Amino acid sequence: MSKSAQSPLSRTARLLDLVPYLATHQGIELSRLARDFSVTEPEMIADLTTLWMCGLPGYTPLELMDLSFESGFVTIRNASTLSNPRMLTEEETIALLLGLDLVIESLPSERGDLRLIAIDLVARLSSRVNVPTKLSAKPSIPGSVRAIIQDALHKKLALEILYHSSYSDTVTSRVVTPIEFRDENNCEYLWAFCQRVGGFRSFRLDRIQSAKLNEQTIVEQGTLVEEKAEKISYTLRSHSRPRAIMERFSIDKSDYAGDLPAVAFSYEWIQRSILACSGSVELVQPASARALIVRAARSILERYKSG
Amino acid sequence: MSRKIERLINLTIALLATKRYLTKKQIFSSVEGYEGTAETKERMFERDKDDLRNLGVVIELGSFDPLFEDEAGYRIAPEGYALDLGAITGIEIALLSLAAEAWKGAALDRSAHSALTKLRSIGVDSDLDALPALAPRLMATHEGFQIITTAISKRERISFSYLSQSYESELRTIEPYAIATKGSHWYVAGRDVAKSALRTFRLDRIDSEVIPSKDGSGYEIPPGFDLLASLDLEQSAHLATVDIRKGKAQLMRNAALSIADKGEWDRITISYLDSRSFIDLLLWHGDDVLLIAPESVRVELTTRVGEIIDLHV
Repeated sequence: MSKSAQSPLSRTARLLDLVPYLATHQGIELSRLARDFSVTEPEMIADLTTLWMCGLPGYTPLELMDLSFESGFVTIRNASTLSNPRMLTEEETIALLLGLDLVIESLPSERGDLRLIAIDLVARLSSRVNVPTKLSAKPSIPGSVRAIIQDALHKKLALEILYHSSYSDTVTSRVVTPIEFRDENNCEYLWAFCQRVGGFRSFRLDRIQSAKLNEQTIVEQGTLVEEKAEKISYTLRSHSRPRAIMERFSIDKSDYAGDLPAVAFSYEWIQRSILACSGSVELVQPASARALIVRAARSILERYKSG
Repeated sequence: MSRKIERLINLTIALLATKRYLTKKQIFSSVEGYEGTAETKERMFERDKDDLRNLGVVIELGSFDPLFEDEAGYRIAPEGYALDLGAITGIEIALLSLAAEAWKGAALDRSAHSALTKLRSIGVDSDLDALPALAPRLMATHEGFQIITTAISKRERISFSYLSQSYESELRTIEPYAIATKGSHWYVAGRDVAKSALRTFRLDRIDSEVIPSKDGSGYEIPPGFDLLASLDLEQSAHLATVDIRKGKAQLMRNAALSIADKGEWDRITISYLDSRSFIDLLLWHGDDVLLIAPESVRVELTTRVGEIIDLHV
């Protein structure tokens, strides 16, 4: 556990929150209680021992809180003064408000009933926090897609997904065996074995248009060997809008000097990305790909001249 | 250390249980843990009050009778201490749990978790079965995230260095109004102090620590300020007509305001923010899209494509 969780103040806060929690979870297992409060069992025992010494002035057995935890199960009596949960802090409220907005935006459209309940909760929480703005969180990924993938991971089942590949600008249906979620460059990916290509691929979650469990296909996870996709190294030269280029090509800030080294997994992606910088960037290497860009650009120009 | 914690808990219990204001003298004689000289006790009590205030526990100062100059006393009003969301149902607890769990592994994880603990202490069971299967998740890993949310609630200015379009770090100081996420990016909006105007910043372009400052704190946030709505307003500034090949340009298709079937092609109308980034988007799609109008953007686009050719021949 981090040191800060054991500072006198965070321990005091935890003890104040422990009392109402125990009052509504009488007989809870010590191990679960420790887990619920993100501390170790010895730390939880230390907390309970401290709490045991507290109570109303007088501090006779009549006034002290009555805790029992020797059996591995925790009960509390005589703690009515502290038995109401504490008010939410502003930061806790902000966390819930942003989370609630995300939930509202993720609800399926036919659940207008839940939407109303959630909006009412937002109103009740907002009135208790010193922030007069709307706290918005628009999901980039439908909440239901992630739930289905989680379900597949949990049940070790294959998934059938409709996937939009931005490299080739095509939508394909694929059966995949999900392995795990991965975060890269602020985006969330599903790392999975794709039956269609017979190899591992990562799928950006916001490009998965729909997903459903595929009960028929069962793949032994042990037989799947991870392969590395072939990397293409290339070099860029920035002519204007450097920030847009650094972001689009995910170049590390430390490499920002002179010609920019970058890595990708597809020539098609490199070509599209260079075109999409509309003259701000030049592909320096590999020379062979420069010719392809000229050809693609000329073909676009032709269309506009004839059109 | 344990003794200090005991004393803080005992002080909270005593001040919460009392209906009358307790004077310092009464506190020192009845609450366990205040020992030593009068001066020591006094110092202990001042520190304890600060500590409890930092935990969000509000200690009221008052006297028994406003007509007499009594010695002031202290108490904690239960309504200022306890969570009060009114009557709450299992479905509401389930929705709030989902909201808290969306933070797993992200910036406000700790606060979301402690909020959830308090909600679970109300004693109403979460009715998760009443909800459809959802697992929304907030991706927020920027180190400054928590500092920004705290600054918004405390009305404190923040300073940070921000990567400009020309990829230079510029020092910015703002009075933050709101934080929001859209399309996998987080934004903070506020009044830029030097420019004295509203500005929006993308969190991943902040390339320094975020430093809060007390200078100029206590500014006003325009009531009802809606960051995403102000972004959307900008986004829908212009309209364009584009032909797109059937089965292609999925991203533009999704953003289209209208789609008309033209056989091999579809004709869509779409809104865009500025011509340059719109041209970027069109060129990403190569010869699967053809801009029909506005004419000025068509001209700019062909000039840009000419530049691409010049750079690569």
